Amino acid sequence: MIARLIVRRLMFTVVVLLGLSLMTFTLSHLVPANPARLIAGPRASASTVEKIEIEYGLDQPLPRQYVNYMKGVVQLDFGRSFSSRKPVSEDLARYLPATIELGLYAFLLSTLAGVPLGVASAVRRDSFIDHVSRIISISGLALPVFWLALMAQFLFFGKLGWLPDGRRLPDSVKAPPGITGLYTIDALLAGQWSTFVTAVEHLILPVVVLAFGSLAVTTRMVRAGMLEVLDQDYIRTARAKGLARPAVIRKHALKNALLPAVTSIGLQIGLLLSGAFLVEIVFSWPGIGRYAVNAILQIDYNAIMATTLVIAVIFVFLNLLTDIIYLFLDPRISF
Amino acid sequence: MTAADLTNIEAMAPTLTKSRTRQGQLRRNLKRFLVDNKLNLIGAIIVAVFLFLALFGEWLTPHDPYAVDIVNAKLLPPSTDHLMGTDELGRDVFSRIIMGTRISLQVAVVVLSFAVIFGTIVGLIAGYAGGLVDEILMRLTDMFLAFPALVLAIAISASLGRNLRNTMIALATVFWPWYARLVRAQVLSLKEREFVEAARSLGMSRNRLILKHILPNVVAVIIIQITIDVGYAVLATSSLSFLGLGAQPPSPEWGTMLASARNYFRDAWWYMTFPGIALTLTVFAFNVLGDGLQDALNPRSGSR
Repeated sequence: MIARLIVRRLMFTVVVLLGLSLMTFTLSHLVPANPARLIAGPRASASTVEKIEIEYGLDQPLPRQYVNYMKGVVQLDFGRSFSSRKPVSEDLARYLPATIELGLYAFLLSTLAGVPLGVASAVRRDSFIDHVSRIISISGLALPVFWLALMAQFLFFGKLGWLPDGRRLPDSVKAPPGITGLYTIDALLAGQWSTFVTAVEHLILPVVVLAFGSLAVTTRMVRAGMLEVLDQDYIRTARAKGLARPAVIRKHALKNALLPAVTSIGLQIGLLLSGAFLVEIVFSWPGIGRYAVNAILQIDYNAIMATTLVIAVIFVFLNLLTDIIYLFLDPRISF
Repeated sequence: MTAADLTNIEAMAPTLTKSRTRQGQLRRNLKRFLVDNKLNLIGAIIVAVFLFLALFGEWLTPHDPYAVDIVNAKLLPPSTDHLMGTDELGRDVFSRIIMGTRISLQVAVVVLSFAVIFGTIVGLIAGYAGGLVDEILMRLTDMFLAFPALVLAIAISASLGRNLRNTMIALATVFWPWYARLVRAQVLSLKEREFVEAARSLGMSRNRLILKHILPNVVAVIIIQITIDVGYAVLATSSLSFLGLGAQPPSPEWGTMLASARNYFRDAWWYMTFPGIALTLTVFAFNVLGDGLQDALNPRSGSR
């Protein structure tokens, strides 16, 4: 049953990704700018441009180019970046871990803070903590993540000087030996305590800023779920048979209240991925979002298409994973 | 955070009123909505102010928003002459924010018009036709929803070229699927209702049925969604502009202003503070107003 669902979703995923690749490919080739001309530079001769066209396969008809491109993609070959002149896959391998580290900690933070906050605010309705959590949910939805990033940078770096202004590590500190690509974990694995501390310092601002939006979503969903569950008969029954309130909340209410929050994980992954583009720019974070934006500004098609596809794959698969987790959590659901 | 992503929260909320509120009740609700709920009132006032600024901006700006004066007025802090200070070219930040209001709201109106019209048509057809047509249209819609909205918008507007028009195309592309879904869900529930069946059994033609009975009942839901989405459309536009994709300098679009302000964040706090506040207030106000409208039209969802 579950296996069939997964297979069906995977097939849909393949169709979706093909659709997106076709769309970005078509779009990027509608533009009048000739990428070969862009690579060659404005003063290159016509014959140089032609040579580059042949080298990058740009002289072939579009459907052919697309097929060639997709043949490469399935082997993780996204072509060469026009700007870095390196294979895009190499660039991605270099920048992706930075984004994963940022997104992972932001997700952990928003969950670890959002769930207790949502529960507390539902259990103690209209108390101080409830007001705090509602202010967070409203402002988390309204505050532009890039503006929040700018203001945080201004305050904690510019004015107070407590935290660094950006990047993963300062130039003076050597990156820990790459095992996972996540500096905090690599530093710990290598026993480089001071590198670990520096990496954490650099993570604080971007992670908190990025987490803020999804913290708002988590808090809001958990609060709403909890309020609804607390009103149910089985909670009243549990209380009536003499169970203490904390025990009822922990054992009976929480699990059911969290279900809607689990469905919102997909939404949060979207928030985190989109937010990463903006946060990485403000904090000069060498991740895939910053790489994509630079690629866009330099009209680097291969890099743009590759990052879009990679982000789409991550998003689609994390969503699939969420659905599967949900399936196990809520036995009533059948697809 | 992105616009269409966030509308998902609303989609998860209980669906809107099943019974159509009668006129009188609606008016009573609206009164309660503005007078009793301070948050709604604040939202409505902020929205009104921004609409006013967007409409009459050029008569309200104390300075020419494009007038450059690098020699005398570069990066001046707020004063009585320049309420919100000046930027790196000596332009008045306050005047530019006022003019930016129009750009933002104009973009939102254009984007949402296209998104709503297209989404509603798709949703109506899918919901009413059902069967294979529904399946195809909805799978297509899902495909657009399968990506983080802002990333898709970035990819589209990057591919089309960096300007405001292309940003609008990109945003319309990411907003319409939400309306298609919303309208379809409404149509599916309306289709089974007695008054629709009554009209059908009286021999009313399909097109007339859709126009006369289905569409009017979907409008309330669409209006609520539009109210919320105006804020998110403004936010998405500035996000793209901030990345260098949407409006280009010297446009006083808020995201564009913030992108330049970023280079002066140590010396000129006012330059990046005020456009951000304007942006936050806009998103906040439309969000609150939309939420409030939803509660007013459907008291059941008030528990949120």
